Amino acid sequence: MAIHIPILIIISPLLAAFLVLLTRKYKIILATTSIIASIVFISTLSSRILSGDKITYHLGGWQGPLGVSLVIDGLSFFFSSIVLGLGLLVIIYSIPERRYSRTYYFLLLISLSSMIGIIYTADIFNMYVFYELLSLVVYLLIAYNMKGMALRASFNYLIMGGVGLSFFLLGIGFLYAMTGTLDIYHTAEQLPTAFNSSTRMVIMSFVLIATGMGIKIAVFPLHGWLPDAHSMAPSPVSALLSGVTVKIGIYCLIRMIYSVFSTETFSIISSSHTILIVLGVVTLLFGASMALVQTDLKRLLAYSTINQIGIIFIGLGIGTELGLTGALFHVLNHAIMKGTLFFCTGIMIADAGTRDVQGLSGFGRQQPAITFAFIIASLGMIGIPPTNGFVSKWLICLAAAEAGYTILVVIILMASAITAAYYFRVIQVLFIGPPKQSSVLIYEGKQMIHGGNFFKSLPIYILVAGCLLLGLVPALGISMLKPAVSLLLSHVIP
Amino acid sequence: MNPINISLLVFMIGLYGVMSKNNLIKKIMGLTIMNGSIVLFFISIGYREAGLAPILEKGTTGGLSNTILVDPLPQALMLTAIVIGISITALALALIVRIYAKYKTLDIQQLSKEQ
Repeated sequence: MAIHIPILIIISPLLAAFLVLLTRKYKIILATTSIIASIVFISTLSSRILSGDKITYHLGGWQGPLGVSLVIDGLSFFFSSIVLGLGLLVIIYSIPERRYSRTYYFLLLISLSSMIGIIYTADIFNMYVFYELLSLVVYLLIAYNMKGMALRASFNYLIMGGVGLSFFLLGIGFLYAMTGTLDIYHTAEQLPTAFNSSTRMVIMSFVLIATGMGIKIAVFPLHGWLPDAHSMAPSPVSALLSGVTVKIGIYCLIRMIYSVFSTETFSIISSSHTILIVLGVVTLLFGASMALVQTDLKRLLAYSTINQIGIIFIGLGIGTELGLTGALFHVLNHAIMKGTLFFCTGIMIADAGTRDVQGLSGFGRQQPAITFAFIIASLGMIGIPPTNGFVSKWLICLAAAEAGYTILVVIILMASAITAAYYFRVIQVLFIGPPKQSSVLIYEGKQMIHGGNFFKSLPIYILVAGCLLLGLVPALGISMLKPAVSLLLSHVIP
Repeated sequence: MNPINISLLVFMIGLYGVMSKNNLIKKIMGLTIMNGSIVLFFISIGYREAGLAPILEKGTTGGLSNTILVDPLPQALMLTAIVIGISITALALALIVRIYAKYKTLDIQQLSKEQ
């Protein structure tokens, strides 16, 4: 039993997904239980992982280079705990809504399971298969309410995502042609010899894989699908997409840059760090300035995601210990803060009946607790102490100053000022005007189950508590990503 | 011209279709062409001149060292990729049906004008 834990973490939501389709009454209990089971499984491994150990599981007993294996190390442990944590909260948040049927939970569970699959697998083609599965489910979730705009957003994402994953698969093809294996660690061993004989093919495959992942992460010139897709999805799904799904692309990119094309071996590819910084700066400034002009609240949050991805990219590009710690910590913080913001926005939009920022006036007096949560998370996005966003931005700025990129500090601070401008605009609107007595009662009677507000606000309170806790005691989060950072810095092929 | 170059050429044709066509169905056709070109690419990686199908028959376990076999792994991978490609296409066509029912057009320029 104990050896099979890595696969059980993936199987548990996958199995529950198909069981959910059979039952009408117990769908929520089943979905929640399966995710909690996965969290329990993963927490039994935590002490081993945090002490720097690595767990390898060979599927069906077939070892590499041909068999598929699952590897849990510091990096994959960190990302998968974010996925499971936010996934559980998303499911809790969707409980009160009657319009989410069995299919919704089915899709949600499949998406969570495939995300963990992407994170754990050590086989590049398997990674691609899980990524396609994740994308399929995400297209369906975006189009879930079948409104015209949602259908178009989903279709646009499908086209962009399809092209991106085709690039990724072609890159995998080049890798296989050179090395004859698809296992990440065996590929990394074979690649230096391949590099000497066919330099161009190595670079070609790196470029293809990086471009494919770039589309999925929505880096600046490839971001076109993100604002539509993230703003048209139902609110809990938006939280999942913004908080976690985008980070999966970042995870794949980190794996590729650090584990497969390790920069020590290929001096040419080490210029990719400069490219990461440049892309990060452009993405940061573009996302911030586009968010400034949005009138739709969810679109504003979607552009804010692009903004924060820029910061993560800058941290990754600097590549020192501080920079990587800041970038990975920002991945966690952004998941927490964006989750809070999208959850709050879901309540606001349902309450006001409009997505327009101006239409939200008076909400601050009506539901002060939710507004308080929104303000805390916004402060985190801007980077004001004592929230968690401050700590990670501070670490990245510190790393930039240490590495000699003083200009980056100026740029990050400038973007923070723009971020402050657009979040304060929303917060200001929340407090002007009298509280409205509009559609609340009708809404509760028809679409929500009894006591629905409790389930809707519980995840928000948990996330806000996390926001403040990580801001006041950042060592809690940083101790969690210590093994990941030391893994990335060691550069040794395991 | 070797098959790898041809498959890359076909990939570019598919990419051109996706990027430049205005009709949603034609975009999906481009995506399918890209998928097909990748299948061709992988199969040509595994191809060996005058190679045999990699099937072990009874009693031939020892004598395989000097026969040339086709690499079976890309073929197995491509079966998966084809299935994924079909499901993506099916989903895209289902979305297109819904979009057409709502807007009565498949032209992306006209769709972007609608609210």
